[in-house]
Amino acid sequence: MATANTVSETQTPSAPSRASLLVFIAPMATDQMESILRSLTALFPADELLIATPNDPVGNAFSNLRQVPTSVSNAVWPIAATDFVNVYRIAKENDARGILMLGPGADSLRATAIRELANAVLESQCDLANPYYTLPPHTALVNSAILYPLTRSLFASRIRFPLSLDMGLSLRMAERLANAGQRFVSHNQSDAILWPVSEACAAGYTIEEVNVGPRMLPQPAEPNVNAILTLVTGSVFSDIEAKAAYWQRPRRLAPEEQRAPETRAEDGAVDVIPMVEGFRLAFTNLQEIWSLVLAPNSMLGLKRLSVVEPAAFRMPEGLWARIVFDFLIAYRLRTMNRGHLLGALIPLYLGWVAGHMNVTAAGTSAEAHIEAQTAAFEADKPYIVSRWRWPDRFNP
Amino acid sequence: MHILFATMLQTIQENPAYSDTRTIWQHMSDALHQSLYRVLSLLIAVLPGILAFFVALALFAVIGVVLSAALRRALTFLKFDERISRNRVNVEWAPTSSPTALVARVSFWGCLLLGLIIGVSAFDASYATGPLSVSMLPYLTHAVGAILLLIAGNLIARFLARSVLIGAVNAQLQYARFLSLGVKWLVLVLTAAMVLDHLQVGGHIVELAFGILFGGIVLTLALAVGLGSRDLVSRSLGTHVDRVADRGMPPQSDSMTGAPESIRHETIRHF
Repeated sequence: MATANTVSETQTPSAPSRASLLVFIAPMATDQMESILRSLTALFPADELLIATPNDPVGNAFSNLRQVPTSVSNAVWPIAATDFVNVYRIAKENDARGILMLGPGADSLRATAIRELANAVLESQCDLANPYYTLPPHTALVNSAILYPLTRSLFASRIRFPLSLDMGLSLRMAERLANAGQRFVSHNQSDAILWPVSEACAAGYTIEEVNVGPRMLPQPAEPNVNAILTLVTGSVFSDIEAKAAYWQRPRRLAPEEQRAPETRAEDGAVDVIPMVEGFRLAFTNLQEIWSLVLAPNSMLGLKRLSVVEPAAFRMPEGLWARIVFDFLIAYRLRTMNRGHLLGALIPLYLGWVAGHMNVTAAGTSAEAHIEAQTAAFEADKPYIVSRWRWPDRFNP
Repeated sequence: MHILFATMLQTIQENPAYSDTRTIWQHMSDALHQSLYRVLSLLIAVLPGILAFFVALALFAVIGVVLSAALRRALTFLKFDERISRNRVNVEWAPTSSPTALVARVSFWGCLLLGLIIGVSAFDASYATGPLSVSMLPYLTHAVGAILLLIAGNLIARFLARSVLIGAVNAQLQYARFLSLGVKWLVLVLTAAMVLDHLQVGGHIVELAFGILFGGIVLTLALAVGLGSRDLVSRSLGTHVDRVADRGMPPQSDSMTGAPESIRHETIRHF
């Protein structure tokens, strides 16, 4: 983990033709942008910085910083495929050595965190510096339930936030992501989400997880959580499908690194009753659809869950892992319309969330439960590999 | 009166203008023979057409199988699937429908369709030149069109029913299944009316029946949903008004909080 600022702190007045660090700043409010620029100018010499942003240029206070305008994307997820394409193009044009991408709300990051992300690619020569955020326990639950366990079990990567809002990129990593993004852009899907961790794993590039501390996570642009859950889950399933040749081989998981201590929930009283009721309603109505996707054992497990009292509701880890893997297989086989498939996953996810809330309310730490969940995914990897290779062998 | 007498006198003449000595059975037998002759003549005229239809279908099916197998082998040899997946961003091909399999299937079904068209055309030609020179082709095309309409209507009904069901469940509507069934039957009734209209069966009765049924279903759905969600709407409005009163802000600002629409769990964050 990079800790020291090895970038020279002496500022030269002349503007050189090349920049050491290209900083991409996602669309955000002017005061947030100013705050980030203030941190950057305090951390790095202005002549080594190049700012690429779709935001309007800020006042004269930062006139010594070179700014390159980029196009605004209307993507639901803040950093889209087209951003990676633009960033690499600018980095190549300016001979940048490293790239720092900062998502909306990056002004809430500590200055040292920004510096460590940059140093990881500039000095430690890693290809992808991914942040580890210290978040409240009941935050980023889609990441905890689906994205992290899938990435860790299939790609053997311990990166806790595979879909982070900020990251550091080496030039070759940026090139790879730009190539991946260009394929989306050329198919008129410039809003597509890219998965840097799986790209780095597939390319054999080095990844470093940088502990950046707390961060404010902005609300997604799309207010309907169903829509964004479908988008993100569909995207990760597509990415897994595209990299099947990579993850089917057995891989050793990297040794565990020391992470920041978990923050405890101030108010553990989360009302799980609406979520459990939603799950029950779905069980009553969606059995026909679920039975096309899930194995009879999973359906039996869900049936048992549907009669459990909300206070005792808990989705077993093995059951949830099997559900996600079965949905992944159904996504690949196109058992039904993909929109319908991902829509049918939402009530099950809410069931997992309700169980997670109950587990944490009972005193178990959220991270411990998520790690147990991830271990269940890892243990079930032979199942997904065999069903991926021979989908007709077992047909639920 | 004169005419009547004249007629009566004519009927009692010794040598009538028309005399038939055959019995009624003989007349019936003649009628039956003529009918049988006509039907057999029709069959004899149509039989070559039927044979031509089956021969054309079988021949083109065989050609389709051969062409499909040849294409499959050639494309596999050329690694067509790999080239396609290399150039495309999203590998959206299911293993059962790889590009090669798709091309092979399309070629087979294309041949079969060609055989069907040629067969029907031959059948129609032989039928039209027969004793009953009425072309069957327009009816056949109408029937095929009706079948296609029926299939499309069924698929659309199933798709929409599933979409509504999943959407309603995720919106936590208690009457999700009822809503889904209503949509499904709306589309099915519409399809049935279109099929009958296409076949020109029923005429105005179909239009009338369709109007009554469609209107009935819509009214039932509206009543059921309206009555069923009365509490939900009043509760929602009450909560909205309370919230506005508590915050002392105009109602339109509530929609800008960015909270999820259908799943509102205030203390947790999904992203």
